Amino acid sequence: MRTPSPPGAPRGEGSAPPSRRPTSRRLATGSQGRYGYLFLTPFVLAFLVGIVAPLLYAAYLSFFQERMVGGTTFVGFDNYARALEDQLLRAGLWRVALFLAIQVPLMLGLALLAALAIDSGLLRWAPLFRIGIFIPYAVPAVVASLMWGYLYGDRFGLVRQIGDGLGVDTPNLLGSSWMLASIGNVVTWEFVGYNMLILYAALRVIPEELYEAAAIDGAGEFRKAWSIKLPALRPALLLASVFSVIGSFQLFNEPNIMQSLAPNVVTTSYTPNMYAYNLAFNGQQFNYSAAVAVILGLVTAVVAFAVQVSGSRKEHAQ
Amino acid sequence: MAHPRPIHRRTLLSAFSAAALTLAVTACGNDGESGPKGDPADALDTPTTLTFWTWAPNVDKVVARFEKKYPKIKVKVVNAGQSAAQYTKLQTAIKAGTGAPDVAQVEYFALPEFALTKRLVNLKDYGAAELEPKFAASAWSQVSISGGIYGIPQDTGPMAMFYNAEVLRKFGIEPPRTWAEFEAAADKLHRADPDRYITSIDPGDAGFLDSLLWQAGSRPFRQTSDSSVSVDLADNGAQKVAEFWTRLLNKNLVDTAPGWTNEWWQAMSSGKYAMWIIGAWAPGNLASTIPNTAGQWRAAPIPQWNAGDSVSAENGGSANVVTATSKHKEAAVAFATWLNAEAEGTRALSEAGLFPATTALLTDPDFLDTPIEVLGGQKANQVLAQSSEAVKTGWQFLPYQVYANSVFKDTVGQSIGARKPLASGLQAWQERITEFGEQQGFSVSAS
Repeated sequence: MRTPSPPGAPRGEGSAPPSRRPTSRRLATGSQGRYGYLFLTPFVLAFLVGIVAPLLYAAYLSFFQERMVGGTTFVGFDNYARALEDQLLRAGLWRVALFLAIQVPLMLGLALLAALAIDSGLLRWAPLFRIGIFIPYAVPAVVASLMWGYLYGDRFGLVRQIGDGLGVDTPNLLGSSWMLASIGNVVTWEFVGYNMLILYAALRVIPEELYEAAAIDGAGEFRKAWSIKLPALRPALLLASVFSVIGSFQLFNEPNIMQSLAPNVVTTSYTPNMYAYNLAFNGQQFNYSAAVAVILGLVTAVVAFAVQVSGSRKEHAQ
Repeated sequence: MAHPRPIHRRTLLSAFSAAALTLAVTACGNDGESGPKGDPADALDTPTTLTFWTWAPNVDKVVARFEKKYPKIKVKVVNAGQSAAQYTKLQTAIKAGTGAPDVAQVEYFALPEFALTKRLVNLKDYGAAELEPKFAASAWSQVSISGGIYGIPQDTGPMAMFYNAEVLRKFGIEPPRTWAEFEAAADKLHRADPDRYITSIDPGDAGFLDSLLWQAGSRPFRQTSDSSVSVDLADNGAQKVAEFWTRLLNKNLVDTAPGWTNEWWQAMSSGKYAMWIIGAWAPGNLASTIPNTAGQWRAAPIPQWNAGDSVSAENGGSANVVTATSKHKEAAVAFATWLNAEAEGTRALSEAGLFPATTALLTDPDFLDTPIEVLGGQKANQVLAQSSEAVKTGWQFLPYQVYANSVFKDTVGQSIGARKPLASGLQAWQERITEFGEQQGFSVSAS
């Protein structure tokens, strides 16, 4: 992710006036470039080994098929053709898309509220709230899912017990109609604090003068939030959205833990990531699994890119 | 973590073999047909380090005895994960050619998969056929695959009915001997107290249903040649099982809680469930997980389809295999044989909590007469050993049973969870199994 620059900042060298001393400048650029590449090497190496090579290997694997009877053969795009037809993969993609459409706005809305509240200066014990909301992020997803799973449990779970105590018939939170919402709740609980920090950090860099100017113009707190804070938050919100889009498509830990509590609700293909995992490790279908992973990666990239483009377009329109 | 549930369970038994098992590893002669193999007995005299992947409890103590007896052999015991988690690593390591252990624990249901893909040594080449008389037929039949022998049975799990005697007494219910009596007992219990169920059927556990099918005479999975399998989850036995459990589910006489969860153990502990029909390894788990119920439980034979019959099935259990990549195959075979076929090793394993696979222990009076505390001092090994004897023969697992079991929850589990006819779930399961088999290059028939 590029660091978003504040609106109105100079937009790079391209628009700068022509240089006054072209000759010496060109020389300097040349030798700087050489050294620059040298300094880049460690990163480039790590990038190639850690990111490009595994991606290429996964892509390579996806063009083969290994069978228990018949061994390994090159199959071209067969795995991709199969994946595009695969109802289980499609159902999983729709499921995470639905999750994305509902959970992400909800979570970012809550994070925004929390960030604005803490930044408003009207809150007592603001640091306490900040750390309190952030703490769930420090809990590993596996532990968080287990913990919530116990609370959700239909027979002895806390929710059911409270419901029984009040004489209210609580729904089965681990049943098929509630499971996605229950997982959404866990994810929201885990990541509200994280997103709040991103937004809060963006709020802290707004210069005081803007608020002072607004106050002189007679703006109240709400007007300040609406006209100064929200526009300034746009790049940070965009960043958080892109992270959340990626997170949603890669949903794995939470449903995977819930599976042991409700095996008939969370199937092996509940999310695309779980599907890829089960294909590889229960079915030994590493090649098909690689194709599924590549498709999932592409879908994620496309959606994240779309969010980014639409977000920055609005930014330009401002 | 794909499967946090323990697939391999144990019993806490203490047994002392009085029967003289004198057949030493030298019995593993060199009578294989596929070329000369070294003598395992010689191998024990050569300094060697073996690696052994297992998740069985307390095995290190048993191994220490082996090392004391054969000081030239060092055995490195590694817990590389349990069941499916370990199989993934094992498959990968053997495929890669390095990093695999010499000896590994593999459950019976996963054994055909490893055997078919030539990941394991055919122990027949090392004379393992001679070991057959030492083992319960039910155990031996599960390591005999396509004419070869691909493992030495380590432990077994003959089915039994573990019931909460206090709950049954409270409601005036006799332990059911047949499935008809089981249904009547389920009805009586749930009618008397709607919060209680006779038992719970786990929508995520293929192994339980496999055992029920096995007992009912269904033979759904068969490998008919190296490249063909048959899958029939609608044969007579399967229909019988499906109709019976569908009826119980419809009448809300059984619960559908997934097993091994916190909630399930609470239900077991509080007497909400009156019984657990499962493999002979259960008492150890009862004792360790819900010690507050110690003494309340009793073991009885699994309910029968026909009164007076004695037909059982297996649930769980493992063999020790020697990997194809091992550089010390002779020593590995000798070690696996000592551990699982000789008096000293098997007795130690049994003390460590495994239900035995050898006839010597299964008929040993000391073993049979050991009172088991969690079962109220009942000499339950008699019941469990009888069950081992009564296991119906002819059951087979698919050469890709690990996958088949993993999609049980997507198919049959759906029917169980929704209390819908199991037959449709079984059909969906069959379709997924067939589809996968064809993708793997098998010809799959349905008869």
